[in-house]
Amino acid sequence: MKPEDLKTAQINTWCPGCPNFGILNSAKEAIAELVNEGKLSAKDTALAAGIGCHGKIFDYLNLNGFNGLHGRVLPVCFGTKLGNPNLTVIGFGGDGDTFDEGVSHFIHACRYNMDITMMVHINQVFALTTGQANAITEKGFIDGSTPLGQGEKPINSVLLALEMGATFVARGYALQAPHLKEIMKKAILHKGFSYIDILQPCIIYHKHSVPYLSKNAYKLDETHDISNFGQAIEKAREWDYSYEKDAKVPIGVFYQTERPTFESQWPQLKQPWHTIDRKPNWDNITREFK
Amino acid sequence: MGSAVTSHFIGKIFTEWGYYVFNYRDYPSLIRGGHNFNILKISDKPVYSHELKYDFILALDQKTIDTHKKDLNKGGLVFEAKAGEPKILANNVLIGLLFKHFGVDLSILFVAAEKTFGKNADMVKKSIQEGYQLGSEKEKFKKLSPKCFISGTEGMGIGAIAAGLDIYLAYPMTPATPLLHFLAKRQIENNILVFQPENEIAVINAALGASFTGAKAMIGTSGGGFALMTEAFSLAGMAELPLVVYSCQRGAPSTGLATHTAQGDLKFAINAGHGEFPRIVLTPGDAQEAIIRTQEAFYLAGKYRIPVILLSDKHLAESDYTFNQIKKSTLSANRFILENPPEDYKSYKITVNGVSPAAVPGQGPIVRANSYEHDEYGYTIEDAATTVKMQDKRFKKSAYLKKEINKLNPVSVYGKGSNLLVSHGSTKGAILDALPQLKNFRFLQISYLEPFPAEAVAKEIKKSRKVILVENSATGALADVIKEKTGIEIKNKILKYDGRPFTPDLLIYEIHSNLRGFRKSTHS
Repeated sequence: MKPEDLKTAQINTWCPGCPNFGILNSAKEAIAELVNEGKLSAKDTALAAGIGCHGKIFDYLNLNGFNGLHGRVLPVCFGTKLGNPNLTVIGFGGDGDTFDEGVSHFIHACRYNMDITMMVHINQVFALTTGQANAITEKGFIDGSTPLGQGEKPINSVLLALEMGATFVARGYALQAPHLKEIMKKAILHKGFSYIDILQPCIIYHKHSVPYLSKNAYKLDETHDISNFGQAIEKAREWDYSYEKDAKVPIGVFYQTERPTFESQWPQLKQPWHTIDRKPNWDNITREFK
Repeated sequence: MGSAVTSHFIGKIFTEWGYYVFNYRDYPSLIRGGHNFNILKISDKPVYSHELKYDFILALDQKTIDTHKKDLNKGGLVFEAKAGEPKILANNVLIGLLFKHFGVDLSILFVAAEKTFGKNADMVKKSIQEGYQLGSEKEKFKKLSPKCFISGTEGMGIGAIAAGLDIYLAYPMTPATPLLHFLAKRQIENNILVFQPENEIAVINAALGASFTGAKAMIGTSGGGFALMTEAFSLAGMAELPLVVYSCQRGAPSTGLATHTAQGDLKFAINAGHGEFPRIVLTPGDAQEAIIRTQEAFYLAGKYRIPVILLSDKHLAESDYTFNQIKKSTLSANRFILENPPEDYKSYKITVNGVSPAAVPGQGPIVRANSYEHDEYGYTIEDAATTVKMQDKRFKKSAYLKKEINKLNPVSVYGKGSNLLVSHGSTKGAILDALPQLKNFRFLQISYLEPFPAEAVAKEIKKSRKVILVENSATGALADVIKEKTGIEIKNKILKYDGRPFTPDLLIYEIHSNLRGFRKSTHS
């Protein structure tokens, strides 16, 4: 498989130069490479996307997919995996989508540890609705809905994923596509809930993050022990998603551990339900009422 | 054991002994204490409702006697627990007393106790025996042929299993929760999956994810929970994913009366979700209908790829009904999924009846579900022409659906007479039991509220002299629906919105008062 095989004929409507293209290309390459390595079956892969700029990726990836509601990517992923545990399920969410509208689902997805991968496009604004602040936007940010400036500190999404029990937590940078691709491959292969925080600076409504991230982002190297939770927390705290002063912004895998997956604990979750030829036995199901 | 278990146990013995029992449950929204009671009606003829006058009171506390003694029929008896006796045993003593009165053999009670209480049966048997010895035989009930004893909730549950349910998701909410418990308990033996996600929004979105993969998914909630689900209910309409929604009404608006009954969500069910899309709303009238209508819900959801609401209420869900035997629908448990979808598969292919044959991820071709307006492949679009084409495609189903439901008894008419009672759902029981005592009345039960069987309803109304609507609501929503769909206005309404179901006595009284001050329906 070539990455181009995952292309669709749909006209791409992201802004020219949008870092979302980096995410799309990394995803195509990661999936094609995993297929070629015999580690993934494209026909048994299903993606889910929410609503926002990120969600357009649904139209640009030639894979089974469900473009659901704003904020509900994770329940759709959860249900897709419940419905067919043989599928590789990949969710794409926006940061407003995931950490404003859908934050409760995110917390529970970390707890459930279902074997799904969630990639969140972190652009720190609601871009498709013209740039309002969201849960990851830095304090002081001014926009149409918040002319007096965003009053609160942002959620540290990597820290939240770690604290809530995600078993694979990483951060990628959309403008460092080859590095992002490697993270995606690891996340998809991880058995359990994988979270990738993908920095995707909005070049229209959040321009200042491009020079900041290009200056401060650095790759976690082999000195970082991904099995060490304490170290992962320390790394997650290096940057708090704000821009007041320069801080190191680590990218790479922060943490990976093993915990039984949700589906491994249900004896019923062995095969796709649609392949079960049910013949309900009426006498058995009604015996107790006679 | 409390009033609910005791009354179910008594009802079960009577039905096994061949009698018809209706068991009504009344309880407050608290866990321990409060005034919690059941009313059993026991007869050698079919009964579908309870009464508010009693022949016996089995009282575990003074409050029961204080509250209900005024409603004891002349010559009625009160069996009360001895002061100081633990309630858990006192119940069983009262059971012994009651059955001794009717001359039912102690051995029958013992067998029933063993069946119901398993390893705790010995203690129960001991106290039943104690009551039995204290009592005296006043009547000798003959044994008749055994009957089936089943609640509305249980009907929904076995209907779902018989229809081939794969996954049931629900967040707890009274009075829908008993179905969650019923299915959860039986999940392994029936190879189904029952799970309680983090909230109602997760419930419905996850169910749609599962439906996307070809699983038969059902969700359960009450009005407030369904309100949270409505955005995704509209998604089911747009993405054309089969889904069965069990919505069990309780007193409302808002949190309302958690443990009491109402039919105030009818218009909400018919109109739930933003935008326009076809859906089905079904209102079963008793536990037997709950089985059949649940099977129909799955069948139609799968065949037409639309969401279906099974609208129940506390009274139907938590009452026990008796039937000679329980029957299932003859509809198949088909999955309606293509065995070999074509390479160039279109998830939203435009067909004659608007239904796109379903494929699922993993079969090979790309399968898409989209909440945005989309083309036949499921790609997002926003051009005018495709928008119209796809909206028309979804509504093409309506004409076929109407034809299909006409084969499924969307309305039922009971009794003979030139006057007509019109209702839907759980009011059926009290109406059927009142009907023989009403002169010249038929009863029109409407079971499909959407699509609405307008012709059949109009025909029955037009040939009737006096028409009265009966509904457990404050405004009589069904009258508005009938007016919208048929143009006929029903002005006479008997409404009850105190959280309690109708009883035949009350209905008869109300119908007689209504007749005295009768206003002509606009159609006549």
